[in-house]
Amino acid sequence: MTTTVDRLPGVLGLSIPMPDAEERVVGTLRYTVDHSVEGMVHARLVRSPYPHARIVDVDVAGALAQDGVLRVLTGADIERAVEIPNPYFGLTRRDQAPLAIGRARYGGDPVALVIAETPQSARDGAEAVIVDYDELPYVIEPMEALAAGAPQLHEEWPGNECGEWRLHRGDVDLAMSQATHVFEATYTSPMANAVPFEPHVAIAAWEGDFLEVWTATQWPSAVRGELAHMFDTDPGNVQVRVFPLGGGYGAKSQLKIEPMVAVAAKMVGRPVRLELERDEVFLTTGKHPAVMDIRTGVDEEGRFVAREIDLVYNGGAYAVMTPKAVAQGLLRSIGPYRFPNIRIRSRGVYTNTVPSGSFRGAMTNQAAFAYESHTDEIAEGLGIDPFDLRERNLLQEGDVFASGQVMHDIHFQELLRDVAAVIGWGEETAPTPGKAVGKGIAVMVKTTPPGTRSEVRVEMRSDGDVLVHTNSVDMGQGVLGTLTQLTAHHLGVDIGKVRVQDPDSSTFDSMTAGSRTTFVADHAIGEACESIRRQVAELADRSDHPSPRTAADYEEIMLGAGITSLIGEGAYQSPPSDALSNPLDIKGEVADHWHQGAVAVEVAVDVETGKVEILRCHGAAWAGRVVNPVRARQQSEGSIIFGLGPALFEEVIVADGQVTNPNLSDYMIPSIVDVPIELTSSSLESPDRDAAIHGVGEMTIPAVAPAIANAISRATGARVRQMPMTSERVLRAIVGEPE
Amino acid sequence: MSERLTLEVNGDEIVVEVPADEALVNTLRDRLGLRSVRPTCGLGICGTCTVQLDGAVASSCLLLTVQVEGRSIRTSEGLTNDDGGLSRVQQAFVDNGAYQCAYCIPGMVVTVEACLAESPDPSLEEVREYLAGNLCRCGTYVSILEAVTELVRGDR
Repeated sequence: MTTTVDRLPGVLGLSIPMPDAEERVVGTLRYTVDHSVEGMVHARLVRSPYPHARIVDVDVAGALAQDGVLRVLTGADIERAVEIPNPYFGLTRRDQAPLAIGRARYGGDPVALVIAETPQSARDGAEAVIVDYDELPYVIEPMEALAAGAPQLHEEWPGNECGEWRLHRGDVDLAMSQATHVFEATYTSPMANAVPFEPHVAIAAWEGDFLEVWTATQWPSAVRGELAHMFDTDPGNVQVRVFPLGGGYGAKSQLKIEPMVAVAAKMVGRPVRLELERDEVFLTTGKHPAVMDIRTGVDEEGRFVAREIDLVYNGGAYAVMTPKAVAQGLLRSIGPYRFPNIRIRSRGVYTNTVPSGSFRGAMTNQAAFAYESHTDEIAEGLGIDPFDLRERNLLQEGDVFASGQVMHDIHFQELLRDVAAVIGWGEETAPTPGKAVGKGIAVMVKTTPPGTRSEVRVEMRSDGDVLVHTNSVDMGQGVLGTLTQLTAHHLGVDIGKVRVQDPDSSTFDSMTAGSRTTFVADHAIGEACESIRRQVAELADRSDHPSPRTAADYEEIMLGAGITSLIGEGAYQSPPSDALSNPLDIKGEVADHWHQGAVAVEVAVDVETGKVEILRCHGAAWAGRVVNPVRARQQSEGSIIFGLGPALFEEVIVADGQVTNPNLSDYMIPSIVDVPIELTSSSLESPDRDAAIHGVGEMTIPAVAPAIANAISRATGARVRQMPMTSERVLRAIVGEPE
Repeated sequence: MSERLTLEVNGDEIVVEVPADEALVNTLRDRLGLRSVRPTCGLGICGTCTVQLDGAVASSCLLLTVQVEGRSIRTSEGLTNDDGGLSRVQQAFVDNGAYQCAYCIPGMVVTVEACLAESPDPSLEEVREYLAGNLCRCGTYVSILEAVTELVRGDR
């Protein structure tokens, strides 16, 4: 039975401020970093200065002699502790311990943890820990790590293998041999850091067998499950609490420092807090460095007839998500184009560097830089306008993706036309003295993460209040506000009556990541609200009350039936697919829907210095329907600004096995003066009132760097195939000098 | 070695006892509970610990508390009206959606207040220069500029 209820006009599509807007602006909003627990003590890590070393001995006597130091833990302590039956954690491979056991595998790998009464005494204690290392040969570059005789990171994973996936369709060799032209190039991008301003911070407290963890995480359900495994306990004995995050951008995905505080709290019998210093954030996670070779066969009309891609992602010292992420890396390397013949290999490799993890536009930024730079190189080679070449090859509604999946809800043409129109594609730009000016465009597609689930519980009270329980994390995208609007929309109640509760790990949600929350929450909340409406209608039937039409009817019916509260449950589950069941032959349904975006820029390049100035930039995201225009726009424009850094200057530099720029002085991020005065965006909507609501968190970032590279090329004739496109690199490309 | 000294914080005379090497950001956060002041880079680059020191913007991570004895410090919490209502700058930030994760926003507010006090009718370029020391990783800059533009236009 389906009931209908009057939808309040304008609940969707209104820029309603976040419920906690004033606290955010004044500064009274509480983040995890502001939280404290009665009786808590403080932890500080000791990290390996060597990229690869056997831990011979840890002398803790000096640290224990410091005032206030309670305990010093080492990997060896964790390995033999009966309280920790499973000392290794990891969501794809359990290859990481809270503190390195036996061997440190990267410069910065945690080897000891000092627990003390105050942060200062923990710091003093950490300085007094003396670790005796036996240095081992190390490897930083993934291609070297794949070579025979390379230093080995993990005995269980020989050859430093950290995931390998393949896809093939058609007959690539035949099509290449028959192609009119074949183009080939290699594109690279280095490690970058997401730099969430609130660092990783967590508190763990045990009460008997019950563990409570407060942590700045995007994945509370994963933290809960993995901690339960470590301590061999039921997930019901682990409660994970999350405050709004001071930035995430992927850096707070998976597990980071939660295992350390959980173990420490267990061992000292007190709540333990750990907050990372800024340099430690750089030593905890980063964007996957990548090298991508592309070869494309083209016919005489500029149609892509074949493509071959070889993609290598540097996973760093521990797997984290890499073995699975490189499958997404493969799918996200194809681009929004038709390929009747395609062959791809995508590999993850262990190296002695910071473990790679999620980063806004994950496994897409690296690939889009390559394939969209490549699109322009092909256009240039053929003498075809890059806009026309894209139009000719873009995937359209009903086309078949490289995996064989028939694609729906496809809007690449609209996105391309939107950004081209705004930037004035084809219109001449007035020349500037000493500067070469040019425009560039890029389009991107990102698969949705597979196999995810989100649950929601909506509670309707007879006083009209509606409480929403989820495990979605607010990290600035305003998810609480968005869920509020969606609930008001689906239940037909006043938005002021809806309160979304803080994340609650008894309600499962795979993650707040991958631009998935708005899409999945719309489904899950819709289902939960439908359940409530059904329950109210049944109550009305029983009491011969007319069918409910408005929220006031709900209250009246519930009160009449003597019921104070109704619970509606809903869930979104990715459709089942066996597309990823054979890593060497990806086939079938690889995405439940498609993330689509485009960017156009106009740049001025100083031909004497190579400095690139972004004059104008416009991004477009396919939104389907917009829940909140201000927030949708901030996602697209924020993504562009975020993307400017790795495109132009952000790079985590590793020298002699060490990160040499783990601070905001040597690692610069975009400031307001780096942002073009003309920065705009479009959130494209469907005329269909029931169109799917798409997430818009990362639709523009992957297209930023290739649009800039293409604009530089059109301005100067110089092609930069390496991110970031620093002045030095651009100048070398202009004068034709190799790196 | 602790020192006892007096500060004027958000209009109130406050006596604190702090170690000689304690940074002002820590005194404000940990002893006085002013959580809008946030250390992020520790180098005076990011601006999330920005306060007004005798009306001028300063990075409180680069100042020792003992250095600012007797001086007037204002944080975002101290910019609200006497009745606890938002200042006009804070209200403009709310109205223009000029916040995302908002970790940097109180520092932005403090800077914009100082900018407008110094130059009530700044050009867009002046505002950009003034805010160059306040970083926002979410990339809220466009909304922030719109909030400031609304304030400036409202004054005309």
